[in-house]
Order: sequence, then C-alpha cells, then structure tokens
Amino acid sequence: MLRTDEILSTIEMLHAEHLDVRAVTLALNIDDCAAPSIDHVCRKLKNKILSRASRLVETCDRVGAKYGIPVVNKRLAISPVSTILAGHGHAAAVQVARALDAAASECGVDFVGGFTALVHKGISPADAVVMNSLPEVLSQTRQVCASVNVASRKAGINMDAIHQMGHILLRIAQATADQRGFGCAKLVIFANIPEDNPFMAGAYMGAGEPETTINIGVSGPGVVCSALKRRLAREKNLTLGDLAEEIKITSFRVTRVGELIGREVAAELKVAFGIVDLSLAPTPTVGDSVGEILRTLGIARIGAPGSTAAVAMLNDAVKKGGLFASSSVGGLSGAFIPVSEDSALAEAVRDGHLVLEKLEAMTAVCSVGLDMVAIPGDTPAETIAAIIADEMAIGVINDKTTAVRLIPVPGAKAGDHVDFGGLFGSSPILEIRNAGASEAFVHFGGRIPAPLQSLGN
Amino acid sequence: MKARFRNAYVLDVVSDDHPGIVAAVTTAVEALGGNIDACSQTVLGGYFTLIMIVSTPDPVAPEDLAEQVRGAGTSHSPFQVLARVALPPENLAPSEKCDRFVITAFGEDQPGIVRRFSQYLAGRDINIVDLYGDRHGDEFVLIGQLEVPTHWDIRMLQTDLEHMGEELGFAVKLQHENIFVATNQLRLTYST
Repeated sequence: MLRTDEILSTIEMLHAEHLDVRAVTLALNIDDCAAPSIDHVCRKLKNKILSRASRLVETCDRVGAKYGIPVVNKRLAISPVSTILAGHGHAAAVQVARALDAAASECGVDFVGGFTALVHKGISPADAVVMNSLPEVLSQTRQVCASVNVASRKAGINMDAIHQMGHILLRIAQATADQRGFGCAKLVIFANIPEDNPFMAGAYMGAGEPETTINIGVSGPGVVCSALKRRLAREKNLTLGDLAEEIKITSFRVTRVGELIGREVAAELKVAFGIVDLSLAPTPTVGDSVGEILRTLGIARIGAPGSTAAVAMLNDAVKKGGLFASSSVGGLSGAFIPVSEDSALAEAVRDGHLVLEKLEAMTAVCSVGLDMVAIPGDTPAETIAAIIADEMAIGVINDKTTAVRLIPVPGAKAGDHVDFGGLFGSSPILEIRNAGASEAFVHFGGRIPAPLQSLGN
Repeated sequence: MKARFRNAYVLDVVSDDHPGIVAAVTTAVEALGGNIDACSQTVLGGYFTLIMIVSTPDPVAPEDLAEQVRGAGTSHSPFQVLARVALPPENLAPSEKCDRFVITAFGEDQPGIVRRFSQYLAGRDINIVDLYGDRHGDEFVLIGQLEVPTHWDIRMLQTDLEHMGEELGFAVKLQHENIFVATNQLRLTYST
C-alpha cells in the first residue's frame, strides 16, 4: 500500500510544480524509402510515417491522462534524410522536406527532426544537397527540423563544413527575415551528435538504432528549483553537497516519470522503448528556468563568477539522479541553457550580466551548447563559423555533445530585443566582440585533427 | 493472507491511544491459543484502532473472543471490541478485474465532501481500499486508494470527478497508482 506522504509529495511535484513529460519522440528509420523517383520517395515516406506514427498523439494523451501527467510535445525523428536523397538534387530535397512536413502535420505531431547531414569527416554529395537546401527547407516548412554534425571525437572538426554552415546560417536568416531569422531556430549544429536525442531541434535517429523506437524527454527545472527552495527554507547551514543531493533525488523522481510513460507508450505502440533523456529544458514560462536554479544556488547575477561551477554541479547531480532511476538514460541528459527560452537567462543578457564568452564557458560543463542565442544579423559568416568551431572544440576535447543554435537576426543590432513567440521565447541580441577577427583562421579550412582522446582503443 | 488455523475471525479494537494496547490485545488472543494472521493499526485524532485476522485451532464463539479482548482493557481506558467469523479470502475477492488508482482532492473544508466522492465511486462499483482525510487549517485533504474495474473509461471518470470537484471548490485528480510507486520507490511499478 502506498503511504500518504508519498502520494502527497508526488502530487506536489506533478500539480503544484507542473511537472510534465516534455517530449515523446517516435524515432523511425526511413532508409527503405529510397527510390529512383523522388515522387516515389515522398509517397513511401508519407506511407511509412502514417503507418507508424498515426496513433502516437492519441496514445501519448491517453497514457498521460492515466497517470495525470501531460505529454507536452509529440514528435518524430527520422534517420538522416541524406540517405534517401543520395542521387537526387536540390529540388528533390525541398520536395522531401514538404512531404515530411505534410506527414508530420497529418499525424498531429509538432516537429519532425532528422533533416540531417553527418559531415564530421567529410561532405558527401547527398550531405551537400541537404546542407544547401536548408534555407529553402527551413523557410518553406513549419515542422521540419534540421541538424548537421560537423565534429566528433574520432574525426576531429570539419572546418570546411563549419565555414559553409556560417554562410548557410546567414542565408536561412535572410530566407526567414520576416520571422526575425526564425528558420535558424530549427537547425542545430553538433559535435558528437547523440543518436537517440528526443529533444528538438536536434532529434534524429542514428545508425545502430532499431527500426522504430520511442525516446522520452523529461524536463522539470521548476521542480528542481522548488525542491531546492523548500530545502533551503526548512534547513539552515546547508552545504553545496547537500543541495547537490537534493537535485539528485529530484532528478531521480523526474526521470522515473519519463520511464513509466515511455515504456507504456512504447508497449501500446508495439515498438521498442529507447531512452529517457533527463534534461532540464527550460521554457519561457516564469518558474520553468535553469537560470532560476542558479539564482537559488546563490548566483545573484547569472554570468557572475561561480556560474560555471554552479552549472557543473547542477548538470552532474541531474545525471547521477537520472542514472539511478533508469537503466535507459540517454540522449543529452543534462541542463540546457537556451538563452531565449529561459526567462532568467534572457534577463541576465539584458542586464549585461551574461555575455557570449561566459555562456560558452558554462556550456563546457553542461548540455548542450550555445542554444537559442540571437546575434546581430550583420555578423560575418566567418565569425559565425569561428563561434561554431569554438563550441565544437569544447565537445571534441571533452568527449561530450556540444551544439550551436545561433540566430543571426536580420537588421538587428546588439542590445535589440527579438521575440520568437511561444516556447522559443524572446531575448536581447547578444554582442559579438571581435567580429571579423577570425577570418584567416576559418579560411585555412580543412579538418582540425582528432584529439588525443580519439586514440582510446 | 492464509490463516494458520482453520477457524478465522475478524477482530476490531477501538480505544483511546496509549502505549501497551497491542501487547494487551495480543496477550488476550494468545491465551485462547490464537494466532495473528494479519493486522493493521492506525491512530487518528488521539484514538487507536486495530483490525486483525485471528485464527484458532478450535472454534471459539466470536462474542467469547471479543469478551476475552475486552478484559484486557482497563477501567480508565476500556477497549471497544467487535469480533466476527472471517470468510475465506476467495469469497471476498472482487469478481471483476480491477486496476489500482489513487484519488486526491484538496479544497476548503465543508460537510459532505467524503460522501459526495464516495457515493460517486460506489455507484460505479469502485472499491476504496485505503482512505485518508485530514483538515489542514481550513483545507481538507482527501486521498483514496481505489480498485477501479477495468471496463471503465478512466478519462470519463477523471472528467466526472474533476467537475464534481469544481462544484465543491476542490482540485481533484484520479491517477494510476504506478506514478506514485515510480516516483517514490526503488521499483518502477508494483508489477515489475
């Protein structure tokens, strides 16, 4: 029999602190949709997606209701689209993206990820088609999300690909200038891209995965923050070790929610259960903020000295709690610090407390990277490429996933405010210092060799 | 639960709470050669209540068993005791397949809260297997652990109960018990 205090504490977490399952992502291998005719590819793609995913939304809603936990986002992730675009051209890529968009819409999911190119060691013709189609794809579709892996521990950093992505980002921003460059918010550039990540915009299905799998993203920065505040109100003389323990316990409980829902959704859909990704993914809603956790941990102004250490502690405690809660922890699993999506972080930028360089330092100890960072629209492509390269270096050298989701906002200058709406939030434009000073470095091109860490065998 | 001896009885004891009640009751049962097969006890508002399944090798009249236990009480702290013959567990098992859910309700206290919710549940053959209610200031908290026949549409029950809660000014949730297991215990569900 359950104990009353157990029931009450769960009710508090679920309802007073609004814990939800952030994303249930159905990952699907689409390699068998390849065909000589692009019309045939699109038909096969649509049929496959509808046959596997048409019950996803209804199943998530029913299972979520049974446990009293809303599943906020239902999503699809496909194996890299570059595979089925091999032998096809630019127009075909855009047509496939539209077909994906239509299929996602028909299933009722909010995003479909996997418009992906893996170019960490080199760019195949199909990858080039994917990369060069991104401005049209991300401006002409609503639900398609893209990712490009430009670096890995084993391969090093593909500076040619990064240079190209610098230019492509500016073209995407221009193509979506009427939405303040919003197309860039649907593209993530990775080092060590995870193959089972359920979170958008970077979700895709990697090699070695089953035909179909369910991956779950749980979040809960608000729950972690409330747990810390309760503990601090109740006890005096707490140390950071005590607070890390509180984060760990809360993460355990949050992960369990994802595991329970994920396993049941997978069983109902008769597909394999993949992983639970326990990431503290903030939303613009006040109280659902990683920045607020940092403030609770005693960092009065986010970006002040101590911010990196606080994020490192938070990230580590989250992983430890999640690891014990589930044998299937995967994806990114850590604390996200997406600037526009986190009201406290956006505030810190506005007030001049948090600058790009400090943000970059914080990303070295948490997942994922420079996420949802709005920059001036006139930032040179080479400077954007150099920012990407710095972030990739952090990932490659530390053997972790890092990512960049930069939005060069057309016509905007540092300090201007941009609002992307909904879950994407709003933010001041960050200042890029020393813009233009990395041009020669980027123009060398080639590949930064794989680091010593790659020789682990 | 399987009775040790063939003659099984349900024994119910109520008293004001103080140390030594369980010791006194069990001594009285033992004096009849009885075995305690199962027991559950709680203290509420300073009052003690105990329910036991007791079995004996030889038949005992239920009133004799009750009298034996009453005798263990004292004049300043008498025991109110009821005893009856226990039916075999298979005769008590629910006839329908059920799933376990938890209802929670929070709101400003007023007469009739437990009645309204329990009448709704009774009308749908939903069995309450554990019930907790308490006032915190002006707020009343009600938690019930329920056996819900599997033929019911849970979302319909949830909607009905939430609407009833709104009428009473109560926030009501009906959730499968495994969410509470998963978030509080080392195992994920009762069934794994």
